[in-house]
Amino acid sequence: MNWLTQTLGSAIGKKLLMAITGLSFIGFLAAHLAGNLTIYGGKDAFNSYAEHLHALGPLLTVAELGLLTFALIHVLTGALLFYQNWRARPTRYAVDRSSGGRSIGSRTMPYTGVIILAFVIFHLINFSFVDKRHITIFELVASAFQNPLYVVAYVAAMVVVALHVSHGFWSLFQTLGANHPKYMPAITIIGLGLSLVFAIGFGFIPVYILFIA
Amino acid sequence: MTKTINITLKIWRQKGPEAKGRLETANAANISTDMSFLEMLDVVNEKLTVDGKEPIAFESDCREGICGSCGCVVNGEAHGPEKGTSLCQLHMRHFNDGDTIVIEPWRARAFPIIKDLIVDRAALDDLIRAGGYISVNTGSAPDANTLPVPQRDAELAFDAAACIGCGACIAACPNASAMLFVGAKVSHMALLPQGRPEAAKRALSMVGKMDDLAFGNCSNHKECEAVCPKEISITNIARLNREYIKAGFGSAEK
Amino acid sequence: MSLNANIPLGPLTDKWDQHRFKLKLVNPANKRKYDILVVGTGLAGASAAASLAELGYNVKAFTYHDSPRRAHSIAAQGGINAAKNYTNEGDSIWRLFYDTIKGGDFRSREANVYRLAQVSNNIIDQCTAQGVPFAREYGGLLANRSFGGAQVSRTFYARGQTGQQLLIGAYSAMMRQVALGKVELLTRREMLDVVVSNGRAQGIVVRNMVTGELETYAGHAVLLCTGGYGNVFYLSTNAMNCNVTATYRAYRRGAYFANPCFTQIHPTCIPVHGTYQSKLTLMSESLRNDGRVWVPKQAGDKRAPSEIPESERDYYLERKYPSFGNLVPRDVASRNAKEQCDMGKGVGETGLAVYLDFRDAIQRDGRDTIEKKYGNLFQMYEKITADNPYEMPMMIYPAVHYTMGGLWVDYNLMSSVDGLFVLGEANFSDHGANRLGASALMQGLADGYFVIPYTIGGYLNTVSWDPVTAEGPAFSQTVKEVDEKIQRLLSVNGTRTVDDFHRELGLIMWDYCGMSRKDEGLEKARGMIQDLREEFWNDVRVPGADRDLNQSLEKAGRVADFLEFSELMIIDALQRRESCGGHFNEGFQTEENEALRDDENFSHVAAWEFAGDGAEPVFHKEPLVFENVELATRSYK
Ligand SMILES: Cc1cc2nc3c(=O)[nH]c(=O)nc-3n(C[C@H](O)[C@H](O)[C@H](O)COP(=O)(O)OP(=O)(O)OC[C@H]3O[C@@H](n4cnc5c(N)ncnc54)[C@H](O)[C@@H]3O)c2cc1C
Ligand code: HEM
Ligand code: FES
Repeated sequence: MNWLTQTLGSAIGKKLLMAITGLSFIGFLAAHLAGNLTIYGGKDAFNSYAEHLHALGPLLTVAELGLLTFALIHVLTGALLFYQNWRARPTRYAVDRSSGGRSIGSRTMPYTGVIILAFVIFHLINFSFVDKRHITIFELVASAFQNPLYVVAYVAAMVVVALHVSHGFWSLFQTLGANHPKYMPAITIIGLGLSLVFAIGFGFIPVYILFIA
Repeated sequence: MTKTINITLKIWRQKGPEAKGRLETANAANISTDMSFLEMLDVVNEKLTVDGKEPIAFESDCREGICGSCGCVVNGEAHGPEKGTSLCQLHMRHFNDGDTIVIEPWRARAFPIIKDLIVDRAALDDLIRAGGYISVNTGSAPDANTLPVPQRDAELAFDAAACIGCGACIAACPNASAMLFVGAKVSHMALLPQGRPEAAKRALSMVGKMDDLAFGNCSNHKECEAVCPKEISITNIARLNREYIKAGFGSAEK
Repeated sequence: MSLNANIPLGPLTDKWDQHRFKLKLVNPANKRKYDILVVGTGLAGASAAASLAELGYNVKAFTYHDSPRRAHSIAAQGGINAAKNYTNEGDSIWRLFYDTIKGGDFRSREANVYRLAQVSNNIIDQCTAQGVPFAREYGGLLANRSFGGAQVSRTFYARGQTGQQLLIGAYSAMMRQVALGKVELLTRREMLDVVVSNGRAQGIVVRNMVTGELETYAGHAVLLCTGGYGNVFYLSTNAMNCNVTATYRAYRRGAYFANPCFTQIHPTCIPVHGTYQSKLTLMSESLRNDGRVWVPKQAGDKRAPSEIPESERDYYLERKYPSFGNLVPRDVASRNAKEQCDMGKGVGETGLAVYLDFRDAIQRDGRDTIEKKYGNLFQMYEKITADNPYEMPMMIYPAVHYTMGGLWVDYNLMSSVDGLFVLGEANFSDHGANRLGASALMQGLADGYFVIPYTIGGYLNTVSWDPVTAEGPAFSQTVKEVDEKIQRLLSVNGTRTVDDFHRELGLIMWDYCGMSRKDEGLEKARGMIQDLREEFWNDVRVPGADRDLNQSLEKAGRVADFLEFSELMIIDALQRRESCGGHFNEGFQTEENEALRDDENFSHVAAWEFAGDGAEPVFHKEPLVFENVELATRSYK
């Protein structure tokens, strides 16, 4: 085996892949959220943000392809980790109680991950892979969120993302080896803060559109 | 204050590695709260023996929390409910009259059951064999004070070296991962100047071995740290990650 | 018959150098032709296995533990001595030698002890290079503390877990050799007999503790590194599984047992709580550096310690031994605690305890300093007793701790059976009648790292390197005898458990062969042991099968040996018509109740030869010659 695949294929290497791809998703989410916030500026602001974005042309395509690759890596590696971890304990405990380490976020990583995946596909089908020649992006979004079921699904998905990030954020620093007694408490707090920002920032948009806009 | 309590035990009994095991019920009557958990099991075993039954097989030796022989999962927690306490140091004063206690062996693919509560932890020796040492032949050492070691580093190295190799971290980890064990060993040696020359090689080979032995991966659940009788910190796992990443990408070592 | 210890001639300081020079070397190419069996992987065994493998020998290492790292050495807390003189207090090899000889009450060999002091410094170097995280000063250099029986600080330590760290060092050195294929590690194997034929050790019989199978192994030399026999007392600070089987079985095959009655009672242990108690916990002697030992002046004073004013406390060690104070050697501290309790001044529920008080030290140095030095010990104490020693004085009482006696060995560490070497606590060599704190770790590692690698060559040069196999009548006969004993144990099917017998034996030994002994008591105990042994073989119940993991059977075999060996201890105690070190016979004491030695008649090692079941063992004397130290009455006043 070549040194690279050997390093990346190890227990730590796989986590490294998760951490780097996860970090990039967090970066993506942050940028995406910043863009989406223009929706509070009204229809035009939002549409012009979308236009500017698409004006990036090939750059955007590269970013999209990058994200897609990272997503594949994150999902496939996550699936492999899940399988290996499950196999590492063939017989389960009759009583399994946490001694205080696990959090809801950490316990549910694979499950929140799958939900996020499903959501992302659903989300892309809704807003990306549609014929946008006759409709502005704002109209698309606004009409989708007229359906309360959509709103509920979106809000729920954002809570799920928040859960994933609540563990994922500090965890990625730990994986990268950046656990330092001076900084870790801050990183943990930032992680929780970020999850809240994602949940509220993204989650409030459909609610805003349904009830307010 | 000393008092006596009665408790019901549900204990994993398994005749051999291939046999099917199950939880069996036993009563522990008139248990003094000053007893240790293992002394309580001794009492149960004395009774089983006199009654013509086979006593429960479990391991222990030092009974003062240092040899790492003992360990079971008690009510779902490795080494029981007390923080920083190995099973032999857990006292019955932490239980109440009428309690039911479920006792199971460490469970992990890398730790096959031998009998009842005894598991085979040879995998931990295999990990050490893969690189948990500093290569120095007897007689070739320089004077001990030749290399000063900052007191803080020595203390941190000690914190990591305090590992007793009981395997609770693996038992408690939802993924049966050995990262705290390996992290502690790699940290112990990486923090000391004596251990630096082989640091890259050690990190690569111990992690490689860990994968071969069918331990799980680390999801940073922190259960290991929570059950460790020596309260070894997961900062040692972070250090292992660092050492490994450095070794994997930054060293010539393969 | 007088025993020859093969002590080299010449001045004390040159003996070891001269000897090493004279020992014939084994050609490096020939070393790999020799198979060496190392039984026991504690400090002595692991260090020997690693060092011999580094030299090129083929080593097989056996332990009854599941991993070498669990050997009882792991439990040593306080530290390890060396004559580094890093503290500039005037320490030297000579002073360490002198303190150890004196601490042993002049019942050890000058040459051995001097060698021990000589190699002590190399041990610290070796362990540091292996990554043992010894305590350090802010400047990054090694720290020292003082220990009982010495007036200089020469003890190196790793918090309260020195033994653990040293063992991990030796264990990892050995695992490196396992990885290199030079050591074959055989865990969960209990040695049940030595195979001796033509007066030479040929191999061993072990029981595979998982399958129950009896296995045989042959070697050009056998090293017993199997630890001490303190568990003959049932309750001791030793780990639960420590036992005498390996050395006692070797004794029955012709190895002489030396000074079996020399046992050490450690003064600072957590007192006994109840009859269910399975073992006693040591509180490191280093605590006596800062803790002050006291009892109420008034017998029967039941007040809480905090309510007893200074003027009504008796700091009896400081009062009686002003120059050493709380740091008198272990035997002296233990006997004094017993004396205070016998006078009714003992404290706690049972009255069998004295206080070890940190109040003054905490006031002087602050809680943080004390916590840094002893934090883990305090924590351990609190876990066991549910009392907080920062607020309440600790309660302590003496407990059996270490056995100075062991198989007799010569200067080369070879027993009276050719090819059978004995290292560490299992031999009798260096501590005389009392061991000083922090010197067992030193001895175990000295034997394994720095003595046996040379001396074994001297022996191997006398035997052929032709391959050896575990075949032939000597092997099959020994296996047969081992199997017969196992079958006998399983077939009694009586009513009492093994632990029950062990507990009873322990009480007999503690009462009559413990901290202080009397002729009548010893005689009485001998009879009681014989009766108990008989009852054991008629009424013990050992459940389970032989070809299986069977912990009852393991224990039964060990207790059966204790039941025979304890009698040898009593015989030895009766023979020694003096008091010295850990052996205190009330018939021989000064007016101030201190041990009264008889240097004229008992300045010797008593080595016992097995003469058959039921026959009195044969006494052999190794006279001790003191050319370099003056035999003085130990005084710690
Ligand atoms: C609680 C405590 C604290 C101590 N503190 C100190 C201290 O601070 N400083 C100090 O100098 N000394 C101390 N000592 C003493 C010291 O720890 C021991 O004397 C020393 O470690 C013994 O080492 P060893 O290698 O001879 O034997 P051990 O470490 O006892 O090893 C014995 C080995 O032999 C194996 N074995 C035994 N019998 C058999 C058999 N039949 N078949 C197969 N394998 C067998 C065991 O598995 C084990 O591997 C302390 C002792 C105790 C009890
Ligand atoms: C918004 C999108 C996502 C973000 C921001 C994200 C972020 C992260 C981060 C930061 C981690 C932590 C990495 C570490 O511990 O080092 C992580 C772990 C994980 N992710 Fe994601 N992720 C996302 C989507 C997904 C998807 C779609 C899946 C799978 C279907 C998934 C599955 C997992 C799993 C299983 C882990 C845990 C791996 C382990 O520690 O064992 N994630 N994620
Ligand atoms: S028996 Fe040694 S740690 Fe519990």
